[in-house]
Amino acid sequence: MTFDSYTIVITGLGGQGLISLLQILGNALMTNGYKVITAETHGLSQRGGRVTCFLRFGNRLSAPIPMIGSTDMIIATEKSCILDVLKYAKPNKSTKLIISTDEKKIINEDYPSEKYLLSVLHENSDNIYFVPATEIAENLVKNQKAANTVIMGYILRFLPLREEDLEESLKRQFSGENLDINLKALKEGHKLQLDLKLYNF
Amino acid sequence: MARIYNKIVKGNPGVERFFLGNEAIVRGGLESGLDVYTFYPGTPSSEVGEIFLEIFRDVGMKWVESSINEKVAIEVAGAAYARGATVMVGMKNVGLNVASDPLLALATTRPKNSNSALVIFVADDPQQHSSAVEMDSRNYLKLFKVPALEPSNPQECLEFTKRAFKISRELKLPVVLRTVTMVSHARSNVVIGEIKRSEIADDFDLSREVNVASRLYFLELKEDQIYSRMNQALEMSENSSLNRIENEDVKNEYELGIITSGVSYSYVREALDFLELKAPILKIGFINPLPEKLIASFLKRFKQIFVVEENDPYLETQVMAIAQKNGLNLKIYGKDPFSYSKETSLLPFVGELNPTKISLALIKITHIAPKIDLNQIEGKKYKILGRKPILCPGCPHRTTGYALQKAITKIKSKTGKEIYFYQDIGCYTLLAFPPISFANVKYCMGSSIALAQGVAQTNGSLNIAIIGDGTFFHSGIPALLNGIYNKAPILVLILDNGWIGMTGQQPHPGSDTRYYKEGNFKKGINLEEFLRGTGAYVSVIRHDEGNEKEYTARLKELIYEKGLDVLEKQNLHVIVVKDECIQEYIKRHKVRVRHIDVELCNNCGLCYSQFLCPAIYEKDDVAYINSSLCLGCGICEEICPNNAINREEL
Repeated sequence: MTFDSYTIVITGLGGQGLISLLQILGNALMTNGYKVITAETHGLSQRGGRVTCFLRFGNRLSAPIPMIGSTDMIIATEKSCILDVLKYAKPNKSTKLIISTDEKKIINEDYPSEKYLLSVLHENSDNIYFVPATEIAENLVKNQKAANTVIMGYILRFLPLREEDLEESLKRQFSGENLDINLKALKEGHKLQLDLKLYNF
Repeated sequence: MARIYNKIVKGNPGVERFFLGNEAIVRGGLESGLDVYTFYPGTPSSEVGEIFLEIFRDVGMKWVESSINEKVAIEVAGAAYARGATVMVGMKNVGLNVASDPLLALATTRPKNSNSALVIFVADDPQQHSSAVEMDSRNYLKLFKVPALEPSNPQECLEFTKRAFKISRELKLPVVLRTVTMVSHARSNVVIGEIKRSEIADDFDLSREVNVASRLYFLELKEDQIYSRMNQALEMSENSSLNRIENEDVKNEYELGIITSGVSYSYVREALDFLELKAPILKIGFINPLPEKLIASFLKRFKQIFVVEENDPYLETQVMAIAQKNGLNLKIYGKDPFSYSKETSLLPFVGELNPTKISLALIKITHIAPKIDLNQIEGKKYKILGRKPILCPGCPHRTTGYALQKAITKIKSKTGKEIYFYQDIGCYTLLAFPPISFANVKYCMGSSIALAQGVAQTNGSLNIAIIGDGTFFHSGIPALLNGIYNKAPILVLILDNGWIGMTGQQPHPGSDTRYYKEGNFKKGINLEEFLRGTGAYVSVIRHDEGNEKEYTARLKELIYEKGLDVLEKQNLHVIVVKDECIQEYIKRHKVRVRHIDVELCNNCGLCYSQFLCPAIYEKDDVAYINSSLCLGCGICEEICPNNAINREEL
C-alpha cells in the first residue's frame, strides 16, 4: 500500500465527534511527515443531521473535497449513513467500508433492512468491516462517546501509523478521565479481530 | 485554556501546526502585530473571535470583543484603526450587510499613524451549511472599493492575513480577507512565522482621520482617498505574487486556460489530475482590484477560457469585460453571467463546487472520456433516511417548543383564531421542523418582531415572534420599540438562554461572563429591567435550580394567558423565557442523568416521539435513556405521564 495520496470519507451524525476524530488522525499523520487536509462541518445546527467530512493525506496537498469514485476508505459512525456516501467508493470495489453497527432510527421512517444494506454494500465494495464500536465502548468504558476511538483503533491496521502516534494525538485532545477512556478504547479497537467472512462472501 | 494558547501562540518560526483555516487567520493576525479584534460570531467565521477572546490578554493585545452586532463591531474597529491600531474585524457573509453602512464611510478615512491597518475578515458559506441564505460577499467589493484577498487553504490563510495587513498599512485602506467554509473549516499543515507586537504611537487627529459628515469634504476625500488609492492597489495587484500562473508552459490541444481563485483552485487541480488534462491555471489571490493586464496577457494565449468560482460570476463578468476591452475574441466558459443558470452555464450558481462538478464541466468543453463513468456513479440512488438536524439533549428550546405547542392548541380551540409564527436566527429555528413546526416566516437577524407587526397590524390573527436573547440584542431591539410605540398586538417570546448559543456560546451584552473566562468579568445587562423601561407588558419565567417543579406547565399557562390578552385587548406582550443553554449550563453544574423505570413505562412514546429528546430511544416496547447522551435537564421527568423517569440510579 502506498500513501502518495490517500482519502478517507467519514460520515455520521452531527454531535458524534467526527471533528475530534479528524483532528486526532490528522495530527498524528502530520507528525509522521504527511501533508494532511480535512474538510469539516461545524455549527451546532448540524447536530443529529447527517454530516460528511473528509481527511486526505499524502506527499502533496490535495483539495479538501475528493472526486467521487476515488476514495480509499469510508467510515460510517452510524450504519445507515454509509448509504449517503457510496458515490465516493471506487468502481473497482477496492474501497474499504468501515461501518459502525450502531443504528440511530428515526420516528416514522423505516430503517434500511440488513438485506438491502448488504446487497448495496456488496455492489460497491469487496472490503466491508462492521465494527460494533458503540457496544465495545459501552462495555469497556461505560461511555458510548468513545465509539469513534474504537473505530480509530481498528483502522490503524490500514494506515501508516503506530498506536503510539494516536496515543500522543489523543493526549493533545483529551485530559483526565476522558483521556483514560479514549486510550482504553483505542487499544481495544486496535486488537479487535472481526469475523469478516460474515459479510465478505 | 492553556491548550488553545499553547496551540496557537507557542512554537518557533518554521514549526508545523495542524491548523484550521480560522486558526491560521488568528496566527496571521498575531504575526502582523494585531492590537484589536472585534467580531460578531457566525459560522464559518466564529472560531477566530473565540480564540482571540481566550488569548488576547496573554498575548498582549489591546482589546478583543464579541460586539453587539457587526455594525458596532466595525465602528469600534474603524475608530481604533483611525487612532493608530492594527485592527481586524470578523463576521460571516450576511454580517457584512449589517456592517456595510459604516464601512462605506470608513473606506474614505486615511489614518496618518504608520501602525494603522484594518483587515475585514468575511467568511462566506456557499451551500448554506449554517446560513439562512447563500450570499457571495465579493459583490460588495465593487461597492466598497477596497482591496480584497482570497486564500485557498489554511497555509494561505496565515500568509494572506499578513499580506492583507501589509497592504492596508501601506495604502491606509481597509482590506477584505474573504474565505469560504471549505477554507475556514479546512484543517491542514501550516508553517508558522514569528509573532510581532506593535507599538501604537499617540499620533492621530480624529476629526480629520475619521470621516466628517460634510458632503464637500466627503467628495473631496472620495476622489483622493478612494480612487487614487485603489489605483495604487491595482498596481499592487498587477505585480502581486498572490496572483500566479501555474503550469505556465504546458499546452493542450483545446487551447484552454483556466482562471480561478480560492478553494476552487484546489478543486481545479484535482479535476485536471483526474482527467489527465494539462492546462495553465491563473490563480487569483488578489481578488479586488483584479490584475487587468495580467488577465489580458493570459487570455491572449488561448482560444478557450474556463472561469471556475463558486456562487456568483464575479470573476467571469470581469474577465469578459477585460477580453472585450482588449479586443480578444475567445470563448469564455463558466456560469454565463447573463443566463441565470440556464443550459449555457457549465457551473452552478448555487451551492459549493467540488472536483466532480468541475470535471463534468471540463468533459463538456473537451469531450475527454474519463477513466470512470461519473454520471453513472452520480445516477445511483440509495434509500437514505431523511435526517434533520435536531436540538441538543436538554436544550431549553425543546421545552419551550413543547409548552408553546400545548398553549397554542388551547388558544386555538378557545378562540378559533389563526396563529402565525415569525422565526429568527438561532438554534430555535429548528423548531420549524416536525413535530413542532413553528415557522411561517424567517428573514434575517432580528426580523421576527417586525414581521409579526406587519401581519398583526392588518389582520385579526395571533402573531407570535420567537427570538433568542443574542439576536434580540443584535437587532431585535429597534423592532420591539417600533412595535411598542405603534401599539402592535403581538406576542414576543424572547428565548433567553444567556449566550449566542448556535455558534458556540459566545457572550452578548446580556451575558454574565462571571463564569466565562477567568480574569475577565463582565456583568450582563439586565434584560428584564431594560424591557420594563420600554413600557411593554413583560413577563419573565425562569427555569432554575430549585424552580423546576411544573416548569413546562407554568410556561404553557403563561403563554396561553398572554396570547389571549394579545387577542382580546390588542396589547403587546413580551415573555422572557430564562433557561440557560445546556452546553453552558453543564460547564458549571453536575449532570444528573435520568433513568427510566421499565416497570412503570407503558411506551406511550411522549418522551421520544413528541418531546423528541435525542437521548431517549425505544427498544423492546419500552423507552430507554442513553446515559452517554443525557445532559440532565430533567424535563422528561416532569412530562412523563407515568412517573417512570427518575434522577437517581435505579
